[in-house]
Amino acid sequence: MPQTIAFYDRVDHALHDSSLQTALHRATSRFIGNRASAISALGDADRLRDQARAIRAHALAHLDELLPQLAANVEARGGHVCWASDGEEARQYIIELAHARGVRSIVKSKSMASEEIHLNEALEAAGFEVIETDLGEYIIQLAGETPSHIIAPAIHKTREQVSELFQQHLGMPPTTEVPLMIRTARQALRQRFLQADMGISGVNFGVADSGAIVIVENEGNARLSTTVPRIHVAIMGIERIVARLADLGVMLQVLARSATGQKLSVYTSLISGPARPGEEDGPEEFHLVLLDNGRSQILGGQYAESLLCIRCGACLNACPVYQAIGGHAYGSVYSGPIGAILTPLLQPDLPDAHLLPQASSLCGACQEVCPVRIAIPDMLLRHRADAVKAGKVNPVEKVAIAGYTLTMTHPAIYNAGGKAGRFFSRILARKGHFRRLPPPLHLWTKQRDFPALPPKSFRELWAERKNQRRSSS
Amino acid sequence: MSREQILAHLRTSLTANRPWLQAEAERMPHEPPPFALPAQDDLVGQFVAELVKLEGKAYRVVSADEALAIIDRLIEETQATSVIGWDLDQIGLPGLPELLAARGITPAKADVRGEGRKARLQALEPIPLCLSGVELAIAESGTLLLRHGPGKPRLASLLAPCHIAIVFHSQLVRGLGEALALLTQRYGDNIFGPTSNLTFITGPSRTADIEMTLSLGIHGPPQLHVIVVEG
Repeated sequence: MPQTIAFYDRVDHALHDSSLQTALHRATSRFIGNRASAISALGDADRLRDQARAIRAHALAHLDELLPQLAANVEARGGHVCWASDGEEARQYIIELAHARGVRSIVKSKSMASEEIHLNEALEAAGFEVIETDLGEYIIQLAGETPSHIIAPAIHKTREQVSELFQQHLGMPPTTEVPLMIRTARQALRQRFLQADMGISGVNFGVADSGAIVIVENEGNARLSTTVPRIHVAIMGIERIVARLADLGVMLQVLARSATGQKLSVYTSLISGPARPGEEDGPEEFHLVLLDNGRSQILGGQYAESLLCIRCGACLNACPVYQAIGGHAYGSVYSGPIGAILTPLLQPDLPDAHLLPQASSLCGACQEVCPVRIAIPDMLLRHRADAVKAGKVNPVEKVAIAGYTLTMTHPAIYNAGGKAGRFFSRILARKGHFRRLPPPLHLWTKQRDFPALPPKSFRELWAERKNQRRSSS
Repeated sequence: MSREQILAHLRTSLTANRPWLQAEAERMPHEPPPFALPAQDDLVGQFVAELVKLEGKAYRVVSADEALAIIDRLIEETQATSVIGWDLDQIGLPGLPELLAARGITPAKADVRGEGRKARLQALEPIPLCLSGVELAIAESGTLLLRHGPGKPRLASLLAPCHIAIVFHSQLVRGLGEALALLTQRYGDNIFGPTSNLTFITGPSRTADIEMTLSLGIHGPPQLHVIVVEG
């Protein structure tokens, strides 16, 4: 969704899109249920999560040693490493490489880091054909959209919408049979793989002691993208590292269970450099792009904990705000609770980045499900404080907070306000709710009802009961 | 140079935050549990049950002959005249070369490297059957671990719509932690010496990207047949 539309309008749009609401409900409730049963089946899920957190904390604490170790091991296996300070350096490296090797066609498997640096647009502008091969990513590429969920990028699309895209772009006969649509996509994408000169992938974990990268997926498109074309380029955020191969014994278990409720994802590939002499297949060249793009600075600040994230998507599914508005409303690469923390840090130029941390009721469901127990609500609050310090406050909000302060510190005003509220509740509310409130409160009732006040206040009830007791004894 | 710049930033940042990150790191031992689910007596039974839940096909057999009969049936069903496979001695199933020869099947070499790579790939594409062994299999998740390398191409578990994998009872471990420890025990720090790729395979290729409807075989094999030889 373009940034020209303000955050609140995007939210409004999402809340009134009924097919989006159905899709969001279906996806998030299924993800939540699957995760819950996978976690509860574990002998000791809490221990495994504590271990995951410790392993990731160790990796961050030693990032200055582990990254050079990973790079050295990749190079020792015949791979190339690009250290990219920002998106521009990463894009430039990949484009120059593709030009130098005479690449025409590129297949991509899912990579949030490449979304972050808008790699596809840059490659297409440079004249390369870029095909997203994860089915969800492929669908949204055909539709000219961006992912709305880390794990399920096209959850906002109905089967009818997908069918239309396939009819239009792939010449599929009209059908809404999912198996037929799957077969159509398989055939179309298979030819893309076989004709591609370069495969670009993301990285779930870099393993420092092995010089390997780990890619987790269910479809097999990442295996094809990293096996079939002559050149493999992997893009990795510099924080996505673990120290030892053994660490995967913890990380893969919590990642799969938190993301989709699987015990392990269908395919987990560990890739270390290009094909060796004597290997029959695999790429001739392997390039690892280590993307900083602000992460090395974040590590020193009060949001360092957000770098523990392993991009499982559990906090998105658990978040009542995400469940209601979906990923596009955030307008950023990373959505949901973790996205609301990362976006003001990674995409500070987005005009309404500072509003995203407001899109939370601070209920804590995100932290509850986080496999590495990131204190997401704390950091959302810190972002809000930062926004206030930076003067990014809505004037209406300023007045409202002043009014709130006055009310809460003056019992007389509080009581009078309560009385007025109960009066209006009695004459204006229907079935316990206000449908519409006058400005500026209409901003609330635009998207939801406002609960009416009960006929009597707590203090009134308290006084009544006290009197009753006294008279009965 | 970006490398030095990034590392300098990291060092500066870590002077502030290393202490608490290190403290977090030390709260728990990092060693993975050998397995994560409550232990079961029958490892083969557990493996089979997990794979079946994932819509994979699993067969328990007590002899090589039984295994060959299943492979024979699948050759018939897929009408295969060629297979993309591992070197047969790497699979290690007695009688397999004879079976394929009797069926008139010459295993296709997945040697796509060098000149004519795309043409070789196109030639392999129509082959209906993949045939591989495994390095290990993990009971509690129904997972196969393939350590690729010379004679063990990646495409032999990836390209065709039907993948047959042969697992010997001795290759079965309980959990992921155990599997990783065994790899290190076998190969030390040379796990990736002769190979660029290890792959864990847990069931057939799947997607739920269209309306969360589970569908098999979007890119990898929709059919996964695992024959566990217990004899």
